[in-house]
Amino acid sequence: MTETTVILALVVITALGFDFTNGFHDTANAMATSIATGALRPKVAVALSGILNLIGAFLSVEVALTVSNAVVRIQNSDGTPKEALTSDGGTALLLIVLAGLVGSIVWNLFTWLLGLPSSSSHALFGGLVGATVAGLGWAGVNWNGDGSKLDGVIGKVILPALMSPVIAGLVAAVGTWLIYRITVGVAARFTDNGFRWGQIGSASLVSLAHGTNDAQKTMGVITLALIASGEWTDTTNIPFWVKASCALAIALGTYLGGWRIIRTLGKGLVEIAPPQGMAAESSSAAVILVSSHLGFALSTTHVATGSILGSGVGKSGAQVRWRVAGRMVAAWLITLPSAAVVGALMWFIGDLIGGLGGALVIFLILLAAAGYMYWRSRRTPVDHSNVNDEWDEPAERREPAGTAV
Amino acid sequence: MSNLGFALEGAWKVLLAGLILGAGLPAVFALGIRSMAFGAGGDAEVDHAAPHPVGRLVAYVLFAVVVLVALLGITYIVASGFGKTISFEHVYPAIVDK
Repeated sequence: MTETTVILALVVITALGFDFTNGFHDTANAMATSIATGALRPKVAVALSGILNLIGAFLSVEVALTVSNAVVRIQNSDGTPKEALTSDGGTALLLIVLAGLVGSIVWNLFTWLLGLPSSSSHALFGGLVGATVAGLGWAGVNWNGDGSKLDGVIGKVILPALMSPVIAGLVAAVGTWLIYRITVGVAARFTDNGFRWGQIGSASLVSLAHGTNDAQKTMGVITLALIASGEWTDTTNIPFWVKASCALAIALGTYLGGWRIIRTLGKGLVEIAPPQGMAAESSSAAVILVSSHLGFALSTTHVATGSILGSGVGKSGAQVRWRVAGRMVAAWLITLPSAAVVGALMWFIGDLIGGLGGALVIFLILLAAAGYMYWRSRRTPVDHSNVNDEWDEPAERREPAGTAV
Repeated sequence: MSNLGFALEGAWKVLLAGLILGAGLPAVFALGIRSMAFGAGGDAEVDHAAPHPVGRLVAYVLFAVVVLVALLGITYIVASGFGKTISFEHVYPAIVDK
């Protein structure tokens, strides 16, 4: 076994690890509202979402090999890695990918610890951008595309992120308003039951779409690493084991359920009733499917959050906790740069030590960081048993009178 | 055209289609619920009106519309997995190559 093979194995394991965090980070997007309204029991909801993600991931036959091209220049347009990065058996490219993935996972775990629904795609792109800047300099990043289509960090990441919550929020607000207008005079007992069914259906669509969209990205990254190290040459297909393992990783992650994030989205933003839940999930499903149909890919997380906020705005008298929303938006804004900083740092550490040793060290740093955050999360555990507890906004901190100097 | 132009062009299309599918369909579903309550009568409605059997029939038609469009959505997801897409060129949906 050569040094490159070991580094490749580390990249594959780390990529599957990212896919796993991608799964549990995003369970909330589809299932938070169904869990909050009691349409599905928490365990049933995550199991359903996991299965649909598994099916969705297998359905993504289309090769997402060029996924990194949207933000960085480490691949040619046909998906093969840049020759300059493969001259030493591929380790230069593998280190960039590994460092980028470590940055993405660390940021995903950190926002999970805080219970904030940040975008996993932003974390992935951020990590890759950071590691590329560190490895190849600023010119290695595709900031703005070439002007012929929506492309680059600005076109594929920043602009969609600004627009998607607004679009989804508008759609959900209109939907919620219409639903409440139409069902005036119908007993709540009667409507709640019906809308719970609608909610389950629309949430299932969101889960399926998530599986097809997100698992592909990890499949593309792993295949890129395989090509770079000479283990695979076909740029139009991906190995079956890559597809199967990515599908399993995202499904298991989804089944594990990011309960902290589910709690924030389901209980923290808005007190959701079944009609609102259905409006929110329908809006998410429609916006995600329509935008991917138009080749204008949006982050599931931003869409889902916008939809839930919209369902609070559209129901008169509903309380929207804008402070929680503000914290989320702050997390979105810093996701890309933060994952980039971690990714860059990891690349510098890996490059300083060099070769297999460097790759091993950043892998160990990842394990240590993940272990620490898991340990921290056990102090205030959130799981299926307390995910729906009342949301107590921490009281505003006031300086006691008389302490001013 | 700049990235902003492309993004705005995509955004309004997503918003329009999103409103029709994402807000329109739930509204149809809500009409179905309303019609169902009209059909059931009694304590399904706050005014405790008498049951109207036709309401139930209308409700089933409305629910069927919602289910059909949702199935179309699933078909779209599956089709795009196989490199196909759904075309509305001839009004009725057809599966075509991308």
